[in-house]
Amino acid sequence: MTSPKARLVSVDGVDASAVIATARRAIDRPGRGGVSHWDASGIFQDLCVADAAAGAPSARTLLLLYAADLAFRLRWEIRPALAAGRRVVAAPYVDTAVAFGRAAGVPAGWLTNLFRFAPAAAERHFVTSVRGAAAGDGFVGLASERVHAVNRRARRKLVSGVAAHLRAQALRRARRSKR
Amino acid sequence: MRPSAAALRVARRSARAHFSDPSKKRGLLVAFEGPDGSGKTTQRKLFKTWLKSEGYDVVTTKWNSSDLIKPIIKSRKAVRALSPEEFSLLHGADFRHRVEQIILPALWEGKLVIADRFLFTGLARDVARGLDLDWVLKLYQPLLWPDLVFYFAVSPITSGRRVTATRMPNFYEAGQDVTAVDDPVESYQRFIARVIREYESLALIFNMITVDAEQSIGDQHRQIRELFLEGQQRPWSPWNADAVAEWLAGRGEAR
Repeated sequence: MTSPKARLVSVDGVDASAVIATARRAIDRPGRGGVSHWDASGIFQDLCVADAAAGAPSARTLLLLYAADLAFRLRWEIRPALAAGRRVVAAPYVDTAVAFGRAAGVPAGWLTNLFRFAPAAAERHFVTSVRGAAAGDGFVGLASERVHAVNRRARRKLVSGVAAHLRAQALRRARRSKR
Repeated sequence: MRPSAAALRVARRSARAHFSDPSKKRGLLVAFEGPDGSGKTTQRKLFKTWLKSEGYDVVTTKWNSSDLIKPIIKSRKAVRALSPEEFSLLHGADFRHRVEQIILPALWEGKLVIADRFLFTGLARDVARGLDLDWVLKLYQPLLWPDLVFYFAVSPITSGRRVTATRMPNFYEAGQDVTAVDDPVESYQRFIARVIREYESLALIFNMITVDAEQSIGDQHRQIRELFLEGQQRPWSPWNADAVAEWLAGRGEAR
């Protein structure tokens, strides 16, 4: 049985450094929890060294890879930590990928199905700053760079779109918690 | 950047017009499906040689072969590090990348694409690994339906005999990640029986053309030629409009 102290916390956002900083603050006490980082599986690291002639991956392809990485993190980091009664902060978790998908025009229903295997977080935090992503940092930065390798304007627009989705999500959460 | 609803509508219209134009030779997609050891690769090669001799411009694509994703899968299979979900998602990514980079561009140019395994391989294997069919099928959306799907039907015993005659099945091929059986041959027999059960259901649901793969190679090849000549006259499936439209919209933006 999972301990009552076990808690899954998500921190989502476009700015990878700010997401990590927020995640560290979200662990109550060091030693009582940990952070599960994006690309723990190394899938995206491997993708970065792939031959450019293989062609640019689409948003859907990148989201399938994100989901594979998340399945890895759930199996090796998140679920074991929860089973041990620890607080685990997933930074980023599902909301970042969903916001990226929506900004890239991927249907919401497909995204909901894709992440059906991921348990809901008990606490959700959103980082609204957009620094870093433009330089290719984090999932949103890397994915935007991959989808729009040449067109910088389109890349910036995509990053802003993701940030706008996350801000809207954060607002909805805040309104719901006020009620 | 998100393709607008209007852009997708235009792309859908353009896809329908392109593939339904009677004045142009339209692209055709033919898939070869079946368990390991069913002889589909032999048949695919014979079929390709015949098509080329008939003047078709042929492109072949194999399962798990995209230059981008294949190395990622291969390295993880080597260390037996994949859960059924990760296995499914990575193969889904490989498939999506090939659809966008190889299959749709070739079809658009009026070529004939032979797929040595298609999304049904993912469905049969993933469901045999215990995953939910509905979840797996939706990973492959927007769906691209082949014009013809040949399903090479063999019994689990024949599949096992043919595969183990020349080599030992590898860890994932034998389904050792889910059977927990140490002996690869015994595990393969158990796992392939599950895969074939799923394939048989899919062959019915998706109206595949079943080829009795226990027949001689020559008989199968003759049957495939005849069925292809009848089947190639089928009109383009409008179900494919979404898949083509999304690809066209993405291609427009990537410029």
